[in-house]
Amino acid sequence: MQQSIKHIKERYIHLTTIIIGCCIFLFWLFYNPVHNFTEAVPGLDNRPPRSSSLGSEVIIGEHFTFFGNAPDPSLTGRWPNFRGADFDNIAKDNVELIDSWPATGPEIMWEKDLGEGHAGVAIYEGRVYVLDYDERKERDILRCFSLVDGTELWRRGYSVPVKRNHGMSRTIPAVDGEFVLTMGPRCHVMCCDATSGEFLWGMDLVKDQKAEEPLWYTGQCPIIDNGVAVLAIGGNALLMGIDCTTGEIVWQTPNPDSLRMSHSSVVPMTIAGKKMYVYNALGGLCGVSAEESDKGKILWTIKDFTPNVIVPSPVYVGDNRIFVTAGYGAGSALVQINKSGGSFSARTLQIYKPSEGMASEQQTPLFKDGHVFNIQTKDAGTTRNQFVCCNPDDFRNILWTSSTTERFGLGPYIIADDKFYIMNDEGELTIARFSTSTFEVLDKAQVIEGDDSWAPMAIADGRLIFRDSKKMVCVDMRANE
Amino acid sequence: MKKDKIINRRDFIQTGIRTGIGAGLGIIGFGLISRSVEGKTIWQLDPAKCVQCGNCATECVLQASAVKCIHVTDMCGYCDLCSGFFRPGALELTTGAENKLCPTGAIVRTYVEEPYFEYRIIEELCNGCGKCVQNCGAFGNGSLQLQVRQDLCVNCNQCAIARSCPAEAYSRVEPETAYLLKGFEELKITD
Repeated sequence: MQQSIKHIKERYIHLTTIIIGCCIFLFWLFYNPVHNFTEAVPGLDNRPPRSSSLGSEVIIGEHFTFFGNAPDPSLTGRWPNFRGADFDNIAKDNVELIDSWPATGPEIMWEKDLGEGHAGVAIYEGRVYVLDYDERKERDILRCFSLVDGTELWRRGYSVPVKRNHGMSRTIPAVDGEFVLTMGPRCHVMCCDATSGEFLWGMDLVKDQKAEEPLWYTGQCPIIDNGVAVLAIGGNALLMGIDCTTGEIVWQTPNPDSLRMSHSSVVPMTIAGKKMYVYNALGGLCGVSAEESDKGKILWTIKDFTPNVIVPSPVYVGDNRIFVTAGYGAGSALVQINKSGGSFSARTLQIYKPSEGMASEQQTPLFKDGHVFNIQTKDAGTTRNQFVCCNPDDFRNILWTSSTTERFGLGPYIIADDKFYIMNDEGELTIARFSTSTFEVLDKAQVIEGDDSWAPMAIADGRLIFRDSKKMVCVDMRANE
Repeated sequence: MKKDKIINRRDFIQTGIRTGIGAGLGIIGFGLISRSVEGKTIWQLDPAKCVQCGNCATECVLQASAVKCIHVTDMCGYCDLCSGFFRPGALELTTGAENKLCPTGAIVRTYVEEPYFEYRIIEELCNGCGKCVQNCGAFGNGSLQLQVRQDLCVNCNQCAIARSCPAEAYSRVEPETAYLLKGFEELKITD
């Protein structure tokens, strides 16, 4: 009897042990120790699918107001598009400019309130053009002013909703005397008669050409090349040429690599004897023929340097080389273009992070006398925000800097009358002697009070035009006045 | 009709004792509070000096650090591409872990309307590493800033982070100015 009870006890013990073991095994098997973790997957921000619709039809050119049309005929200076006539940001009209500011301060000729933004101006023989945004009326407006006194001559615009997103306007018109061409924040292209403001044609690049509106709106400044508007689309076509008279597409470049529109602008260059349009798109840098025989043909593409935000435009730095740079941690690259027979190829010579050499976030560097000049990015280490110089043979080697006491930020800079004119973020304009060997400040002054004085400057007939986020100012820089 | 209440001796003594004890505790408490605040300083870091070296995450005696990222929403741009949220070179602007910068997933974003997003810090997940602060300052407007959370800090006599801070960004501050956020106070004044 005792044997039997003992046997039963042992069986119970074994059974209990097995059951506990099974329970532990099942617990181990099915328990998820990270059950309270949330997977970081796309879509957690509840962002709806992107829509290209603006909610209402945009009728480009619908609004027009004429105020007067009589600029001073003696003014012949031109700054016809982004970075001037030669796309190099160097004034060449041989007007002698001041080395230092007058004792009474900068001579402000006129100033105008503008909608919040960073759009600079184009100047053509006494007329100043700026693509503004009227926040109250919700309109892109191309405004034409007299360079002499800032009198508004006419304005042409269209209704389009644009919300504040670190400013609204960003682009600079292109003007060739006959036509004036604009690209709005939301990719609306408008072409008008440069004198009368008569509307000629318009195009919605998102709706008509499947372009994708860049973050913080469009930054691309359009160009006019022999009466043809040259635009980077990054949608159905990579680049496109449109007859300014008729609005007809005269050539277009296929987009086999699905490159997308960046904030960078198309820059005409002549490389290895071939005229081409160079564009730094999101996804790759490319060269497109600008010659009549094969206009619009892709000559070369390179995808070694592909930041997800690109603002500065490509710079030709001699010996068939192109310098490209971008902010947001991207850095820069130096690309060599080679021609073999009738074909072109591209090869990266240098590529580096911003702390390792010259790099720019917003402004396009200058190239003059075999040297490149630039304001360094905020993440450039010890040289951050300093004005620096490099020899294009080695962009990692900074030849000189403006020193730790002369930092500038995201402001623009140009060369005129053998001097640098450099604006900082807060509206202080520095005049420095042009030199490839050292940085020498001649004078500096507060020329505008507002914030974010980042728009590219323009100069013609000795009048320098710049702006902050809400005001445009024209200053007389002539030395003999 | 109000009836006069007659207090007997026992109630009078009990009430008197209770009142005395209460008043005594009150005086002691007030004295302790006064002692703890008067003339006492607390540790804080100056965002203007901070170089986001990462020491705040590793040197604090607490696990996790009492230093947290604070979002000064008054300054924020509410951008789709937030450099404090996305790692540099992120392939897509989505909430996928492969695109995010914060190693602990402490920053969440919520769509508001085109083109705006709201960014919030989950304090329990933040370890004060400062990666987001560094990128926000380098490419954005610096609305993400590191601060010692005074409700977490044990206020060591010798702050371990302050000892190792290469930028000497830590200092003792008065409790009245417990936080040294940039771009916040100025805006409050104008409000």
